[in-house]
Amino acid sequence: MKIVIASGKGGVGKSMLASNIILLFSKERKVAACDCDVDAPNLGLWLGITEYNFIEKISTSKKAFIDKKKCIRCGKCEKVCNFKAIEKKNNFFEVNPFLCEGCGACKLVCLANAIKIKNVKNGEIRVNNTKYDFPVISGKLYPGETGSGKIVEELKRRVEKFNYEIAIFDAPAGIGCPVIASVRGSDFAILITEPTHSGLSDLKRILDIVNFFKIPYGIVINKWDINSKLSRKIEKSYKKKILGKISYDKKVIDCIVNLKPVIISDSKVVKEINKIFDNLNKILKM
Amino acid sequence: MKMKIIASTGVKGGVGKSTFAILFAFKMLEKNKKIVLCDCDVECPNDYLILKQKLKNPKPIYQEFPVLNEKKCKKCGLCSKVCSEHAIFWIKNNYPKFILDLCTSCGACWISCPNNAIEKKKEIAGEFFINKIKNNFWLITGRSKAGISETGPIVREVKEKTIKFAKKINADYLIIDTSAGAHCNVIQALLNCNKVYAVTEPTPLGAYDLSVILELTKKLNLFTEVVLNKANIGNKKEIEKIVRKFNKKISIEIPYSEDLIKAYCNHQLEKMVNLI
Repeated sequence: MKIVIASGKGGVGKSMLASNIILLFSKERKVAACDCDVDAPNLGLWLGITEYNFIEKISTSKKAFIDKKKCIRCGKCEKVCNFKAIEKKNNFFEVNPFLCEGCGACKLVCLANAIKIKNVKNGEIRVNNTKYDFPVISGKLYPGETGSGKIVEELKRRVEKFNYEIAIFDAPAGIGCPVIASVRGSDFAILITEPTHSGLSDLKRILDIVNFFKIPYGIVINKWDINSKLSRKIEKSYKKKILGKISYDKKVIDCIVNLKPVIISDSKVVKEINKIFDNLNKILKM
Repeated sequence: MKMKIIASTGVKGGVGKSTFAILFAFKMLEKNKKIVLCDCDVECPNDYLILKQKLKNPKPIYQEFPVLNEKKCKKCGLCSKVCSEHAIFWIKNNYPKFILDLCTSCGACWISCPNNAIEKKKEIAGEFFINKIKNNFWLITGRSKAGISETGPIVREVKEKTIKFAKKINADYLIIDTSAGAHCNVIQALLNCNKVYAVTEPTPLGAYDLSVILELTKKLNLFTEVVLNKANIGNKKEIEKIVRKFNKKISIEIPYSEDLIKAYCNHQLEKMVNLI
């Protein structure tokens, strides 16, 4: 069983909820946790991990390199590049490494065979066991590199090497390539939102993706009491899909400052998260 | 005065990138500056909601996708081999199949096809909208079509169009609001900005994410300052450590306040401009 946690909007509580749902599942089942946010891998922090003991550099990205000696300056590469990654500088054509996606279109049109496409080490994969005795698989995209979606795909392959009953995938913000890579292939999606116009709008955006892949889902409203009117409106709109709501509590912030999962604190949200977990189990018939 | 391009960014979501961008816009408006705000979070644009605007009259942003002309195709499979996204599925003696939600429109397939059997078809990949908020204040919103995976090129198009627009109206400031994260869509939004504000919050999450964005802007060679939002909660020490490590300064601190949340929800951020 693969469960993905997504939201569209950032900072609404994906990793907070993911860490607690994993902990609750881990009491009775074999679980694996996967942080699919390779720009801001924060799930580990919620589970008390600040250092990783297994790190493997990976290469899921390619970049073009122009051999100035061979280049006849025809400019075909610049014209064909859909990412506008090739610029003319001082009468030479240069690849902007921050924009190049390594697609190879430039190499195909180069008349002088002056372009090579090379693999680039663009990130790493980290695996750690938590003190709660389950693994966290996370990744990191090196700043300025491309290929985040492909690192997510690689992470998901690594998760399959573990013997798990339930794997939880914590998706990044947005609805673009790393999110699509996180959501694709999941059995269930927990969508978390907050009662702001932004939160609701982004919930609808992520629903477009979840519905595109025909993934069953449930919705959690976090910090519902910062705007109870809008919260009621969301509850009304999505009725049966609502798994539960979580209050705003400053103790949640104390938890993250102390790298402690919320579920083992004395915050009032513990009860609410347990209820969400019970509802989730009912829906998943576990 | 030459137009200045300012970015509000921050890797972590929900730290207040949009709130800061809008507060900054109102602040400059108070100083009688002409402002264009560009929402480059094309996957989840929210500035228009915070400013209580409706998105009308969409202007299209196109991307070219491959379409097979079966009459010309000799089933050689070369297109499948050159596609670095594995978006073309091919079995020997069969026509290739294009999986468009993996396609990044790079063009490698139509360039390499020896029989010119792959045609380009323009499709709408995103839209942008222009709203006049008030005198001297415009908002341009980019929005990708749901299901479009590669959003960097959409950000680039929206930004290029916004820069043209801002120059035409002689804007003093172009404020770019980026999405969360640090990959291609954020890089596109940040490139060539004159100044970047990295917004963060005093938690270990905010601290880690701040180090990511500072490393990125260092690589991109962009002048960067730190904005600490919700400054009076959590723990500032970790943030200060990272700020020192990168030799930056916290130029603005915004306290956590329920009034600010209320103003955000009720489209009244203009009233909170004294916070920055």
